[in-house]
Amino acid sequence: MSRPGFVLTVDERTPPLLVHQGEGFRLERLPLGSRVIYPPDSLKGVRNVDAEIQHALLNPLGIEPLPELLYPNMRLTIVFDDLSLPLPQMQTPDIRQRVIEHVLELAAAKGVDDVELIVANALHRRMTPAEIKRVVGERVFRSFFPEHLRNHDAEDRANLVEIGKTKHGEVVELNRRAMESDLIVYVNITTTPMSGGPKSVSVGLASYRSLRHHHNVHTLRHSRSFNDPPNSAMHHSYERMADLIGGHVKVFTIETSLNNDTFPTATSFLNKREWEWNVADQASYLAVKRGNELMPARARRKVWQKNVAPYAVTGVNAGLPSEVHPVTLDNVHRQQVTEVQGQADVAIFGLPYICPYNVNSIMNPILVMSLGLGYFFNLYKNRPIVRKGGAAIFYHPVEHEFHPVHHPSYIDFFDEVLTQSTDPVVLETKYEEQFATDPWYIQLYRKSYAYHGVHPFYMWYWGAHALEHLGEVIFVGGNRRTTARMGFKAASTLADALEIASHTVGRSPSITYQHAPPLVVADVR
Amino acid sequence: MTERTSLRDELRLLRHGRDWRGRSTVPRSADPWILDGKPRDLSNQWARSRPAVAARAMLRGGLLRPVTWSQTQPVVEGSDYLENLRGPVVFVANHSSHLDAPLIVGSLPKRFADRLAVGAAADYFFDARWRAVTSALFFNTFPVERHGAGRQRSQAVELLEQKWSLLLFPEGTRSEDGTMGVFKAGVAQLCVANQVPVVPVALRGAYMAMPRGRNWPVPGRPRVAVRYGRPLYPAEGEGFRELRDRMMRAVARLAAEEDQGWYGAMRAEIDGTLEVPSRRGDVPKASRWRRTWESTRPLADRSRRRVWTW
Repeated sequence: MSRPGFVLTVDERTPPLLVHQGEGFRLERLPLGSRVIYPPDSLKGVRNVDAEIQHALLNPLGIEPLPELLYPNMRLTIVFDDLSLPLPQMQTPDIRQRVIEHVLELAAAKGVDDVELIVANALHRRMTPAEIKRVVGERVFRSFFPEHLRNHDAEDRANLVEIGKTKHGEVVELNRRAMESDLIVYVNITTTPMSGGPKSVSVGLASYRSLRHHHNVHTLRHSRSFNDPPNSAMHHSYERMADLIGGHVKVFTIETSLNNDTFPTATSFLNKREWEWNVADQASYLAVKRGNELMPARARRKVWQKNVAPYAVTGVNAGLPSEVHPVTLDNVHRQQVTEVQGQADVAIFGLPYICPYNVNSIMNPILVMSLGLGYFFNLYKNRPIVRKGGAAIFYHPVEHEFHPVHHPSYIDFFDEVLTQSTDPVVLETKYEEQFATDPWYIQLYRKSYAYHGVHPFYMWYWGAHALEHLGEVIFVGGNRRTTARMGFKAASTLADALEIASHTVGRSPSITYQHAPPLVVADVR
Repeated sequence: MTERTSLRDELRLLRHGRDWRGRSTVPRSADPWILDGKPRDLSNQWARSRPAVAARAMLRGGLLRPVTWSQTQPVVEGSDYLENLRGPVVFVANHSSHLDAPLIVGSLPKRFADRLAVGAAADYFFDARWRAVTSALFFNTFPVERHGAGRQRSQAVELLEQKWSLLLFPEGTRSEDGTMGVFKAGVAQLCVANQVPVVPVALRGAYMAMPRGRNWPVPGRPRVAVRYGRPLYPAEGEGFRELRDRMMRAVARLAAEEDQGWYGAMRAEIDGTLEVPSRRGDVPKASRWRRTWESTRPLADRSRRRVWTW
């Protein structure tokens, strides 16, 4: 049995601790008495993944076995999560490939001819053919691409359909092909408690008209946190939409969960607790760190992006989304939740090189903000790890770099919008519509590989709860210009950051460091 | 803005808190979560062999005692209580300094010193092999798990069965401020379960002579007192908690003898004015600096006290 997560109290016996910092990492000596939240050790994966998938498809929860739902003249749509999951990408074969192959085997056996595969990318950039092939595998790709294996297009009016409004008046507009199918099979990977369940179809196949009902400042400020679905206004909205979808089309979902084996063997020290590093781990640390620093920036990014995780599958469950998701969440919690007593004055987060929106791309400053104040800050249940009015210290270089193909609207957002205001409400009311309906951004989203024009706004809203909660945000090692543009502060060292934070939290604050990745969700009591 | 650190600084940071083999100490709060690797043999069996006993006797007489006695002025009292005692016994003492074990081992009669094993913290003395070997050579140490990780079964019972006497420090660690702490129940449990007599030993002045953080006694040959008490035998039907309390009172009384004399300390115990550490915290404690202050007060030099004075 793997060890549960725990909270370390830094004492004089504690070695320097590892902190991620963009495309790099460092050792940091935290002040004595600081607390460090470690995730549970990686769970053991299921021994026979194919048998597990087979079992899930034949013994689903709350619905008939998949073979009974398939028949010759039906319209079958298989939808799967895009490349924002898992992070980093998993080593091949991807679990989605394995599940889709099993589903297609059953469909072929039942003589289903009308099969479409759709990437649930919502307003994310389209996946390139190579990226799709990597996820679904050679066999599926060769059989369906490009006519019947494609990205969802949230701006293709002809292929969208409004199926109705929720009781809260939320418009539900989704992919027409999926909604007019006899069966949707959704293939999901749940790596954080926010993913999966009602989110899959209602977000992955939605249009801007639909997404704006939950991707907004008010909802995100009332999602505390969005990794704690019962306390997340965002998930309540997903659920209302999922109920509507459930009444319209039959959805058979297959949810998979992975363990915490985030880094490959050569960098396995990143998965270990520092006092358990042996000489080989220390040598790898030194070699990888020095090598990483000596590499040219482009090569370094390439190496990091090529990093694939040797994840093991911890569970495969199929059936009705509402029945399956609680079981999946149990698996995710087992892997990621660590109980923490009380909040701290200062929270420390080491931000890694990757977030859901820079796979094979560049982490621009807006994405850093979203990763830190959005994703990492919200890795909690009950209460944030830092008290209201406290300080958050992030480690990241926050370089002024943008991917011109993937993130064109981000560049304008950074240069033209953030210079006017950083207040999410002001941005939402004054600028969102303009970016969301800009024909050039729409063109780039549909025909190139760009994120939708509104996407940088969503990234900013993602941090809206943290912006409201925190008294101070400091980036250690951050570029002064970019951090200042976003309304944050930069510090050279942790000592400097604590000095800056002392104006808000005093001279001897309590400190909690969330030691991730591998991801850990703090259950703060 | 991120500056590259030099390789030297990087190495220094990486090596911080690690031994020459690159092993780190385990943070206290992480101790219950240590992976169960292949358990290391910490038994130090070799230290109980005849050659090792002979070598230890030589080192004790030729190095340990002369050096300790040259750096401090030990006054040993109460060793007459040991005259008619037969081993194995368990010596229990208050613990405030690394000098404690050398003072006791150096002041014990040879028949006890030759057949004595000293309980030592597994996480400290057995953390590095060189430390385990050196301490076993000089003191015949055996590992005592302090934090309940349960990695090793205690060797104490086995040693008692093999007629080795034990020297144990039931506080579990050296005192931070020189005052005696509450005894853990383990030693009393051991004595009750094996019906072994306990010899209380009080050390005074050792904290002042070599407190935590020092690795050599302070200059000036400070005076230290080693005081043995009357052996305590577990009574019929006595529980380990009662025996633990008796042990604490006995050691506290012996320590108080230094200031109040034998009779005075005995009276203080009967009157209830003797300071005995309590887990319940019902005895108001002086502030930490005052406790440290008292513990570092030099012992009165009684060697020149005249019996006949007018």
